[in-house]
Amino acid sequence: MAKRDIPEINAGSMADIAFLLLIFFLVTTTMDKDQAYIRNIPKKVEIEIKDDTKVEERNICLIKANSQNQLMVRKEIMENPDDISERVIEFYNTNEKVNDPSNNFPMYSRISMQEIQDGLAIAEADAETTENTPNADASVIEYKYKVVDEWMGKKRALELYGQKELPEIHGQAHVRIEVQKATEYSLFAKIQSEIEEAIFELRDIAAKEIFGETYGVITRRYAMDKDPNDKEKMDLLKILYPDRFIEVTPKK
Amino acid sequence: MSKFRKKGKKAAPGVNTSSLPDIVFMLLFFFMVATTSKESDPSVKVTQPEGVRTTDMTPYKQRSEIDFMYVGKPMNPARAAKYAEMGMEYMLFMDNVAQSTPDELYNVNAIRRWKLDKFDAKPERMSEPITGVITCIKADEGAPSGIIFDIRKELQEIDALTIAYAVRDNGGI
Repeated sequence: MAKRDIPEINAGSMADIAFLLLIFFLVTTTMDKDQAYIRNIPKKVEIEIKDDTKVEERNICLIKANSQNQLMVRKEIMENPDDISERVIEFYNTNEKVNDPSNNFPMYSRISMQEIQDGLAIAEADAETTENTPNADASVIEYKYKVVDEWMGKKRALELYGQKELPEIHGQAHVRIEVQKATEYSLFAKIQSEIEEAIFELRDIAAKEIFGETYGVITRRYAMDKDPNDKEKMDLLKILYPDRFIEVTPKK
Repeated sequence: MSKFRKKGKKAAPGVNTSSLPDIVFMLLFFFMVATTSKESDPSVKVTQPEGVRTTDMTPYKQRSEIDFMYVGKPMNPARAAKYAEMGMEYMLFMDNVAQSTPDELYNVNAIRRWKLDKFDAKPERMSEPITGVITCIKADEGAPSGIIFDIRKELQEIDALTIAYAVRDNGGI
């Protein structure tokens, strides 16, 4: 057979095809990332709680917003929503170093390693006896083991903290958001943003003191390579400054 | 003396476009890598409020552990006017179903059914229980917070207990 020249393929329309694809991707995709604040909704309980336990006023950081978008933080009217984070920080760290019963901020307790060990031993024994009791409720057992886990977490946290005692804010201390139905979402989101900023700042400062790097750096690195050491660091910071938020369902 | 010859009629040489596909492909690949696909095209207009210290939802999207809801005014001006008359300025949009009338918005089943259907349609490999699957609400700046709490209540009923409030991160400026 004679040698035949292979005819050249006309690639002139290649650009058209590529443009078509390009435009398709431009239209169906977005550039901006989805950013949000993750919150948990409390689990629905079937049983009716008769007398709800009173929470001391000092343990509540109440942020209220009404239908006219006016703000009130801890019974004080606030003009500028940018100041919320300062008040939240104040709420967390006023009594952090020294407890002063005369002010209206949550108390701190300091627990030593010995106390944690004792607490852990008691919780473990309690969980075991509950598990061995016939007809024990599964949810009760689960709860008891949760308590054990909490103590374990505290133990690890104190080991990492490297101090004699672990400071801990009062167990009931929380930030409470009360809005009304007509409150604009932008203000609601602003409150969430300010709280997040406050918690981040507190954890950043603590993280710099203990580990020499910010909380933001640690969380970003953890998201990338899931280092268990970073997880422990984050757990410690979460014990020091817990993010307990309550969003109250508006009645009007 | 005719150093400069009179310009003859010469055709302009054609521009070589053989590298055009390469350039366009490069652009194409850039956009394919740098962007993420849209979840859905909502028929309500949402201008997100600004916030700082947000969490990036991209990893959850990649694991399909997140569903999106939109709260805003209808994009169609005629519809917006009609519903505003009915005292229903803001609408809830879930996938391709807009909850148009006030009755429907507060129809208890709509949100629950949507979330449960979404959960059933998740890929097999997803091991997250419904409690951990995030429901991300993208609400307009002016939307009343009451809607958020109505949604929360519905999600609580079916144990979908993780929620996310979408904002635009302004990077602390």
